[in-house]
Amino acid sequence: MGKRKSLIKIKPKKYKDGEIVKVSFMVMHPMETGMRKNKKTKKIIPALYINNVKFEYNGKVITTMKVWETLSVNPVFTTYMKINGSGTLKVTYTDSSGEVNEKSKKIKPKG
Amino acid sequence: MQRRDFFKKLGVVAAATAVAPAMSYAADAKKKPQGPNAFSYKQAVDVVTGGKPVKTSSKIQMKVPEIAENGAVVPVTVTVDSPMTDADYVKAIHVFAAKNGNARCVDVNLTPANGKAMFATRIKLGQTQEVVALVELSDGTFLTAAQRVKVTIGGCG
Repeated sequence: MGKRKSLIKIKPKKYKDGEIVKVSFMVMHPMETGMRKNKKTKKIIPALYINNVKFEYNGKVITTMKVWETLSVNPVFTTYMKINGSGTLKVTYTDSSGEVNEKSKKIKPKG
Repeated sequence: MQRRDFFKKLGVVAAATAVAPAMSYAADAKKKPQGPNAFSYKQAVDVVTGGKPVKTSSKIQMKVPEIAENGAVVPVTVTVDSPMTDADYVKAIHVFAAKNGNARCVDVNLTPANGKAMFATRIKLGQTQEVVALVELSDGTFLTAAQRVKVTIGGCG
């Protein structure tokens, strides 16, 4: 399967120290419910979905999420975050097959 | 003879077509697809609140489309009016879809470092139903808000 494509977006793009910004995390994931059938083979496609998502900012856990298969395909998770000095935002996500991936983004406040 | 045969066959075919859909429908109902994590809405709320009272509140603003053309992707935004300080903050936001096979969608645990209590995602809805947000505050109280979404095409299955 390889590494999944994911993206962290911060809005607004230019931010100052202490500002509250919107953080979106998008990931390309099939989010199979375990109820869908393969139309050709008529076999049920096994469930495969993201379990846990964790937002870490400079090693401090900001937000954790427990997720079920009821989220849409290629889910997006959006929350706010308070900028507190430069560093990195790391998002770790686990899938129901046990696959663990992470994505990080450098935080550089200006001014 | 030919004519008689023709009508006999016609009758058989008609009976078969009339019965077949009914039978397949019954079979479907019997083994109604239950996902691996089937979980009812009531159960889900009980697990989260532990039997504590839940209050409907106008502090929660939900942004969900009233009519969702495609149930596979329904954007949901939950915003809670909260100062998000160490003393008073939103501990968790739970999103439920009341009539989905698995009513649980996502549990979000927030901290004061979020600065603003808001969560947005996209969920799947199998049928027309209510989307419920259950919010746990840092002092242990539970607030809730719900909005009905009309789904034209279901998105589970």
